[in-house]
Amino acid sequence: MIKSSDLDPDFKYEISKEPGGENIKKCFNCTGCTVGCPVTEIDKTYNPRMILRKAILGMRKEVLSDESLWLCASCYICYERCPQDVKITEVIGAIRAIAQREAKAGKIKLDNPKPLFDHLFIDSVKKNGKWYEAGVSGTFMLMTKGIGGALGYAPMGFELWKKGKLSILPHTIKGKGEIKRIFEEVEK
Amino acid sequence: MKLAYYPGCTLHGTAREYDASTKAVCKAAGIELTEIDDWNCCGALEAIFDKELSMGLSARNNFKAQKTGLDLVIPCSICSHNLSRADKAMKTDSAFRAKIEKALGEKYTGVNIKHLLDVVVNDLGTETLATKFTKSLNGIKAVPYYGCLLIRPSEVCKFDNPENPTSLDDIIKATGAECLPFTQKTKCCGGNLLMSKQDYAFILTKKLFDEAKAAGANCIVVACPMCHMLLDGQQGMIEKAHNTKIDMPVLYFTQLIGLAMGLGEKELELDKNMVSTSKLIALIGKEKPAPNKVEAKIATAVEAEAAQ
Repeated sequence: MIKSSDLDPDFKYEISKEPGGENIKKCFNCTGCTVGCPVTEIDKTYNPRMILRKAILGMRKEVLSDESLWLCASCYICYERCPQDVKITEVIGAIRAIAQREAKAGKIKLDNPKPLFDHLFIDSVKKNGKWYEAGVSGTFMLMTKGIGGALGYAPMGFELWKKGKLSILPHTIKGKGEIKRIFEEVEK
Repeated sequence: MKLAYYPGCTLHGTAREYDASTKAVCKAAGIELTEIDDWNCCGALEAIFDKELSMGLSARNNFKAQKTGLDLVIPCSICSHNLSRADKAMKTDSAFRAKIEKALGEKYTGVNIKHLLDVVVNDLGTETLATKFTKSLNGIKAVPYYGCLLIRPSEVCKFDNPENPTSLDDIIKATGAECLPFTQKTKCCGGNLLMSKQDYAFILTKKLFDEAKAAGANCIVVACPMCHMLLDGQQGMIEKAHNTKIDMPVLYFTQLIGLAMGLGEKELELDKNMVSTSKLIALIGKEKPAPNKVEAKIATAVEAEAAQ
């Protein structure tokens, strides 16, 4: 049961202020996003129309802590087909940004490992200018699957290394200062 | 044709055969590539949901490309999407532009960004390309796989139809290989879920293999290192997870073109693909080429006339 007193009518405005979330209020719930979604095809509990509907209704906490928020594969089928130009993939990104801030502030708990991987990846780009595949993947596996789980990937890592496809050390660029300044500007 | 070149992180790592075959094919086709200086990661799929960061990181590369005065070509669908999106935002969103110009201390004038497939099919043209071919690839039965960011969203990549693209189809046909109809050509490989929801990523990729096999394909042709990572790099893991044998070589379209140009397997780094390509290459030329439909019709008409 949805209680109107639990709803946050400002949630849609909060989303529309995030980069990418601008068009959320245009959604008229036609379900076009969901019928074409490849993730919905294999998991009926993933329903982008429902995420948008709940967000517009103001079900803030439920939307932000819903595991399915992290199942979008960013394939842009819904984005392409949406008759209202909601830019759904980017709206999902805007909602994820809010969820990550709430998690950082300790208000919600995120169980999906996607934000962790993205964070490790971006951190390596911040540090080196390029992503450090071996380091990021290794750290992520250790943190999410433990030593045993991480070792399961060792044979594939070794195959890649043998073919000269995986560098043990990170690649770096000269313009690391510029990368740092870009981070500072967009995070303001 | 002279172009600035942005390889992106994967082409200097897991997709090194895409880099090698791109350079070899471009050289043979008379396209001169100049790698942009000190480029950085575009943020890939990991920053794609953090719109400003993704575009900010990408924009730095656009500044580097701008200095060359050339159009910029990108073989990776994700990099191509990110850098194009950044260029668009730099031209239309003055607040974002001000932030990035401040960070880099330079003025942005813009750069023309194209995916390598667009350059080959539309700027060079399949007919011109075909004049460089020295052998027919009959024996290869391929399905073209486009995936997502190569063709979507169409407001960013405008060179092909987002629902029924045909660029890769045209290249496959031009090489003399058979191009089979593929209902999954624009479906998702699940690449962005590989690390966080591997079982889903594997189910999505497995569906592509099932459909490719049902179509009678002996190879899948791609134009994106992420698609290749799933279809080729993870194929062994998918076989294990689904207790099945797939054994499907996956070629970059540049490797296919290179083969038709008669370039060497070493030059195209066909030994770097994770799934062996040697059985597929051995099939080339082993089958009689399918008769051209028009020629076949004429032959039948001539026979009918002779019989009268």
